[in-house]
Amino acid sequence: MASIECRDIAKRYGDVEVVRGFNLMVADNEFVVFLGPSGCGKSTILRMLAGLEEISAGELRIAGSVVNELEPGERGIAMVFQNYALYPHMTVADNIAFGLRRAKVPADEIARRMAEVCATLGLEPYLARRPAELSGGQQQRVAIARAMIKTPRVFLFDEPLSNLDAKLRNRMRVEIARLHQALRTTTVYVTHDQHEAMTLADRIVLLKEGCIEQIGSPQEIFERPRTRFVAGFIGTPAMNFLDLRVQATPPLGLELSGVAGALRLSGARFALGGREDVVLGVRPGHLKPCRDDGAACLRGTVDLVEYLGHDVLVTLDCAGTPLCAVLPVAQRPRVGDALAFAVPEEHVHLFDPASGLSLASAAQSAALPLPLPAQRLNAA
Amino acid sequence: MASHRLSARGAGRWLADATLALAAFAAIAPVVWTFVNSLKNRVDIATSVPRLVFTPTLDNYVYVLTRESARGGLVNSLVVTGASVALGALLGLPCAYALARRTGRWTHDLQFFVLSIRFMPPVAVAIPLMVIWLGLDLYDSRLSLVVTYLLLTLSSTIWLATPAFRRVPREIEEAAAIDGYGPFSTFLRIALPVAGRSLAGAVAFSFVLAWNEFLIALMLTTSDAKTLPIVASELTQLGRDVPWGILNASVILLSLPPLLMIGVLNGFLTTTVARGARRGQH
Repeated sequence: MASIECRDIAKRYGDVEVVRGFNLMVADNEFVVFLGPSGCGKSTILRMLAGLEEISAGELRIAGSVVNELEPGERGIAMVFQNYALYPHMTVADNIAFGLRRAKVPADEIARRMAEVCATLGLEPYLARRPAELSGGQQQRVAIARAMIKTPRVFLFDEPLSNLDAKLRNRMRVEIARLHQALRTTTVYVTHDQHEAMTLADRIVLLKEGCIEQIGSPQEIFERPRTRFVAGFIGTPAMNFLDLRVQATPPLGLELSGVAGALRLSGARFALGGREDVVLGVRPGHLKPCRDDGAACLRGTVDLVEYLGHDVLVTLDCAGTPLCAVLPVAQRPRVGDALAFAVPEEHVHLFDPASGLSLASAAQSAALPLPLPAQRLNAA
Repeated sequence: MASHRLSARGAGRWLADATLALAAFAAIAPVVWTFVNSLKNRVDIATSVPRLVFTPTLDNYVYVLTRESARGGLVNSLVVTGASVALGALLGLPCAYALARRTGRWTHDLQFFVLSIRFMPPVAVAIPLMVIWLGLDLYDSRLSLVVTYLLLTLSSTIWLATPAFRRVPREIEEAAAIDGYGPFSTFLRIALPVAGRSLAGAVAFSFVLAWNEFLIALMLTTSDAKTLPIVASELTQLGRDVPWGILNASVILLSLPPLLMIGVLNGFLTTTVARGARRGQH
């Protein structure tokens, strides 16, 4: 087991810089997820950790020693690929043992570990088969077994569930979470699926265009997004954004208004710094229906009602701006109804229109920088 | 309306079948005729009306196989083709792998250069080569022929094997790198077996190419190193009285190895493809 330390890591292809100044400290036993849209550089960083991609600048340490120049096989890592990357001409057993044979592990030791790993992953019936004779889920389990049997210091997962169907993906996700609970190997996991990131991660590293947007526990990222991009990327259905003008500032109380309506807040949590325009962010589930009695609220006409089971997702038209709200099925409105919503102050997010940075005051964001996953470690 | 269109489609299909049958007949009939004639004695061949009913004889085959020149030609052909194909694979496969995996500024030019060797008319090469081998005192030797054929087998092996190596998923080789294997063992243990099927095709193709080669062999050999195609062609020069039966028998014998090669390869391909398709249903 080991920590991973990235210092100012960069990746350049010619003049194009795809990863810039990447700094991250992954603690021993930690499960870190790199999350971001495609092309954000998350896979490139993972491949640099693995040694499959050269590091253009910066320093990478695994378990305290610099590994920039080490071959992938010498870094004490194991990797699971998106398309499984099993050796098609070998049986499942040979696939799993291939790495240990290279490391000259004695045959009886290989057999012992093989039995152990295959029992954990339920692979015993398939050992004599070839990868092409297995289903996608089984193949991915073989790939995980191949990684596990080496007892690596670090596990690297590159979108391991993307090729599986939704049901299997959920099952494998639970299996990976269980494995990590049992093995506690330091893990870096790349995905573009926020659901995977939220459920698996001790900490999420959210990336955009080769830069870190935010690092934090899933809860921190969900509740206190540092930028408008993070707020919009995390959470389904996605957060609403409304352009509002500042009408009054504390100590009078914060008053905001726009085409969709108005809000009156205490404003204690925000540092507006004299801005006249802000972007309001509010999640669809946090909009509370209220009576439209002329007080400050958001108003709109129901445009579309989507049935989700327990809830309905209502899309409103607020004078040209769309606004989404999640309501219990019992309160299901009809298309054309006029609705009004209040926003509880604790669920209000404000962003700078130009930079997209959160306007939450320093006391709020102070909790953000690089918290270690103490709660998970203690639990173990 | 519907039936009308259906009948039009039926006519089209009939026409397609007929064309196909005609093409197949044009391809197979000469081979069958040659084979039939190779089993006839001279009296049965030299009739104005071709005979379909006759007493078959193996005399022609016995004659060809017992002749010193034919046996020598067979040995020469096997040695020269075998050696040039084996050397072509030994040198060409690593080269193709390098071209497929280490893409750099010169990769494309190199690949085109290899192909351009195949564009060159053999006569243009044969005459200078003849002079070179004469100068080296290696003219009419198997060694000179092997080295010359290596130009053929090497270029076709590289040309056909490069795309085969490119089709090997890169992740599989990366997984091997993470398992601790270096570039050489990755080539031997991963790339070669995974691309094996297509590589066998490339090697078989260069075998057929070298086995059938005539022009260069004609110019570079006179007696000791003559290959089977040269020997067979000389059978026609036995005088005015053309020994048709013997000629047909030697043509059949000459065609057998490439046919076997393609047959084995084809059977190999169909079984693996069928197995792959069966697996795909899981």
